[in-house]
Amino acid sequence: MKRLLALIAALAVMTLVLTGCGEEEKAGKVLRIGTMSPLTGPYAADGNDIRQGAEIAVEVMKEQGGVEGYTDIQLFSQDTACDPKQAVAAANKLINEKVTAVVGAYCSSSTIPSSETLAEENIVMLTPASTSPQVTERGLPYMFRTCGRDDHQAPAAVKFMKDVADVKTLFIVDDKTTYSQGLADGVSIAAKAAGIEVLEHDHVNQGDKDYSAVLTKVKAANPDMFYISLQNSATGALMVIQARRMGINATFMGQDAVYHPNLIEIGKNAAEGMFCTFGAIDKDAPAFKNFLSKYKAIANNEPGAYSAYSFDSTMAYMLAVKAAGSTDPAKVRAELMKLDFVGASKNVVYDEKGDSGSNYTVYQIKDGKFVPYWNSLTGDKY
Amino acid sequence: MRGSEHWIHMEFFIQQLINGITLGGVYALIALGYTMVYGIIQLINFAHGEFFAAGGYMGVILISWLASQGLHPYACLALALALSMGYCALLAMAVERLAYKPLREASRLAVLLSALGMSIFLQNGLMLTQGVYDKGYPTEITSGGFEWGLVSVSYMQIFIVGLTATLLVGLNILVFKTRIGRAMRATSQDKVMSALVGINSNRIISITFAIGAGLAAAAGIMVGLYYGSVNYSMGFVPGIKAFAAAVLGGIGNITGALIGGLIIGMVEIFAAGYISGEYKDVFAFIILIGVLYFRPSGIMGENIDDTRV
Amino acid sequence: MTTQESKKLWLSCGVGLIWFLIILWPLLGITPEGLEFGKTFKVFGYVAVGVVILMLFYQVQQAGKLNFVGTPLKATSVGIGKIYEITPRWILLGIVLALAIAFPLVTGRYAHDVSISVLIYICLGLGLNIVVGLAGLLDLGYIAFYGVGAYTYALMSLHFGLSFWLCLPIAGVTAAIAGCIIGYPTLRMRGDYLAIVTLGFGEIVRLILNNWMGLTNGPNGIMGILRPEIFGFQLNKLWMLYYVILGIAVFTILAVYRLNFSRIGRAWEAIREDETAAELMGVNTFLLKLLAYAMGATFAGFAGAFFAARMRFVGPESFSFLESAMVLAMVVLGGMGSIPGVILGVLALVALPEVFREFELYRMLVFGGVMTLMMLIRPAGIWPAKRVGRRSEEAD
Repeated sequence: MKRLLALIAALAVMTLVLTGCGEEEKAGKVLRIGTMSPLTGPYAADGNDIRQGAEIAVEVMKEQGGVEGYTDIQLFSQDTACDPKQAVAAANKLINEKVTAVVGAYCSSSTIPSSETLAEENIVMLTPASTSPQVTERGLPYMFRTCGRDDHQAPAAVKFMKDVADVKTLFIVDDKTTYSQGLADGVSIAAKAAGIEVLEHDHVNQGDKDYSAVLTKVKAANPDMFYISLQNSATGALMVIQARRMGINATFMGQDAVYHPNLIEIGKNAAEGMFCTFGAIDKDAPAFKNFLSKYKAIANNEPGAYSAYSFDSTMAYMLAVKAAGSTDPAKVRAELMKLDFVGASKNVVYDEKGDSGSNYTVYQIKDGKFVPYWNSLTGDKY
Repeated sequence: MRGSEHWIHMEFFIQQLINGITLGGVYALIALGYTMVYGIIQLINFAHGEFFAAGGYMGVILISWLASQGLHPYACLALALALSMGYCALLAMAVERLAYKPLREASRLAVLLSALGMSIFLQNGLMLTQGVYDKGYPTEITSGGFEWGLVSVSYMQIFIVGLTATLLVGLNILVFKTRIGRAMRATSQDKVMSALVGINSNRIISITFAIGAGLAAAAGIMVGLYYGSVNYSMGFVPGIKAFAAAVLGGIGNITGALIGGLIIGMVEIFAAGYISGEYKDVFAFIILIGVLYFRPSGIMGENIDDTRV
Repeated sequence: MTTQESKKLWLSCGVGLIWFLIILWPLLGITPEGLEFGKTFKVFGYVAVGVVILMLFYQVQQAGKLNFVGTPLKATSVGIGKIYEITPRWILLGIVLALAIAFPLVTGRYAHDVSISVLIYICLGLGLNIVVGLAGLLDLGYIAFYGVGAYTYALMSLHFGLSFWLCLPIAGVTAAIAGCIIGYPTLRMRGDYLAIVTLGFGEIVRLILNNWMGLTNGPNGIMGILRPEIFGFQLNKLWMLYYVILGIAVFTILAVYRLNFSRIGRAWEAIREDETAAELMGVNTFLLKLLAYAMGATFAGFAGAFFAARMRFVGPESFSFLESAMVLAMVVLGGMGSIPGVILGVLALVALPEVFREFELYRMLVFGGVMTLMMLIRPAGIWPAKRVGRRSEEAD
């Protein structure tokens, strides 16, 4: 009995802590930005990239003198675990922390429900990773997307196959996530329209390590190009290693999710010669150089796709606040619309829907590096 | 699939068969640990998948360190295999002592949950100590293989199947021919009775955990070498599959674990190869349910005994 | 405590710490650049100091030196216990209900969100409690019914524009049908065979949700689900939804309470304690086990329909095996077969990860550790049911 009562008391205290009246307002205005990404569970690697990207953006901004009118910029990181329920809880937690913008989330299934929660409080949300067209198609005024859309990347990839790589036959594999499957479907449709024969579009499941059954099919089909649409670089590396070992001679092509130094680090020789689509970056731009050196110093790792997008999302928001002179969502939205800056992932320009332009470039892995190969907008080789 | 010639179909089939045997071998190695632990204390050890992941990590840590000391790659591999098996054995004994032994008299669900807690704890412990990014294995050590037309067999696949077979034979000898094995079987039959005849059942249980985890560590290194990388969350899915394999074969039965592992591996590969990649796990589970419907105690399992279940 | 006992305690503590060091060092210390000790000893130092402080505290407490704190505390709790004993049950329940009703009025968004989660899991936990706690059937795929309920409402709302209140019973019925489908082939199995088969069914349902593009829209999930309405008025604030789920949860609690003390409930418990004996006494075990599955699934279906309405989005990620395991953990941790126990278990396991949000990366590590620890401290659950015999299947 005694223990039970103690327990009930403890739980009551816990609830009180939960409902906690929030932090005291500090002296001076603080720009509060939240991030939401999976920090635990199987997608923690990508979630970590997103959090670090935002952190670096704040660091860079502070170094450049911060945002006028604000004494400090604070980042609040929340874990979504790629679970819709936890994502909404995280969004509500961030509302409690009085953030004015949220960078995230990673899984589209987290971004969509949490964006509705944030929209109720008119909080700006910039997703660095959710590529499902539905994210920005719902007419939410404060929803922005810094990564590309599936329906932009697919035509770029197919144009490359048709015009540059001279692909006649194609084999597509995806791993059944909103992102990977949406993109693979797009590639399949665009390829058929372009007259490329799609031999087969097969799927693997998330959490699989063994792709031998599907790869045997690829080998038997013997396509010119093997298009790999996977959720992240780790699975991408698994796929290329097994494919090369099985003796598949097709050219490999991946997308922006596998554009990560870890693909090369783990895939080693197997990844050599592979193509990837990713935003065009001006590597000489100061913003990019700053990002790269900071990232290496702080995160002790090369930045991946999502860290670059996350950096740009955070940067875009801070620049907009700077220009607007306040965090009023309507004013910030107006400024975001006017924004045009060279970020770490691409040239960021938001359109009416909140999508940022896609200027995909095809990179090739050469001697253990991603080397720009072909620009989809100009149609020229580098 | 293109090419309707008969021989392509044949080669395709043979290649899938080889893939299936390899995958089945991996599942069997993990399933052995499940089945041994279950056989002795009737516990579904959810943390077993984490021993597998820890073994994989220990393998890559040791191989890269030993290689930096200038050892021959094969010596590295052999030493790393032995050391990580030992490491996981220690880990499993610690987990058993800490989380399972105090609950020996409690309800079985309590132990199950304790195991689940340990699984979450270990997985996140691995994530925090080893980082969130995948770790790559030096695959050069074991590259190469044979090739006949469409069919290719890598040395690694032969190695996996060979090691599974060796460990299985060794385990059978251990359980059926040695004193410890006899003590294990006695403990699994009746703990009180075996204590009366002078068997230290706590020690035997500890040893069983150690052996099971050692096998999981071996599987972890195999998987790392074969697939090229390890990851903190890699224990979860194979853990469930191996558990299914152990039950399918008749939980508590060593040969059953091998048969179960092979069946699950084959069904997955053939379902993905001939029917559809995304539904392959559905087929694996349907086969599992179908077999258990007609043989409720698994393929090799004995009839259900009321006192044991 | 005698000196010998205390010596033994310290010895085992020391051995444990050395063991921990042996396990920790290879993970942190071996790098291709060489062997490294600093990091390991830093982590080890924290843990060792923590353990020693806890041990000292334990020793002091054992020696009775903390009685000046413990005695008044005990007296207070005994006093409160007495008040609890003499107060009529309905007053206590009334207070709890009043607190639950007043809760959203004094709290913010985040608290509403977490409390809605708690109430959803109370429905799930009590539903699973019927299957595991009362009928003694281990079910590792329970979340599948939650998913069936959620997708039922999502699809009905999307395609036919049906209202939430109409779909709630429909979701319950579809989930119950799913329960029967899953329950039927498993009726011959016992113990852990049952566990893996239910796990398999749970995974099959999740994979179908993820792969059947035509029906469920696969991994993209279903969007644009209607909110509940009352007389044409949309419940679009969190606190309104809180009252909806509070109503559903109270209904569930009442229903499970009545079931618990009905003929059916007694029959389930008879099956749990000894199936063969129950059958000999004339209990129709086949039908009752099927009924347990169906009833448990119904409540999960209700919870699922509400979940879909609350999120306005359903995707397959919400129905993974880990969720099943979590609901089972709530039931077992709280105390199988006991309604207040399950509620406490839910509070503990939903609230803990939220409290641990501050730990960020360490959140799930601490959570896993605490889960094991709680099981070690109270193996029978926080508030065990009164009528659980030693012969129950789970007690072995």
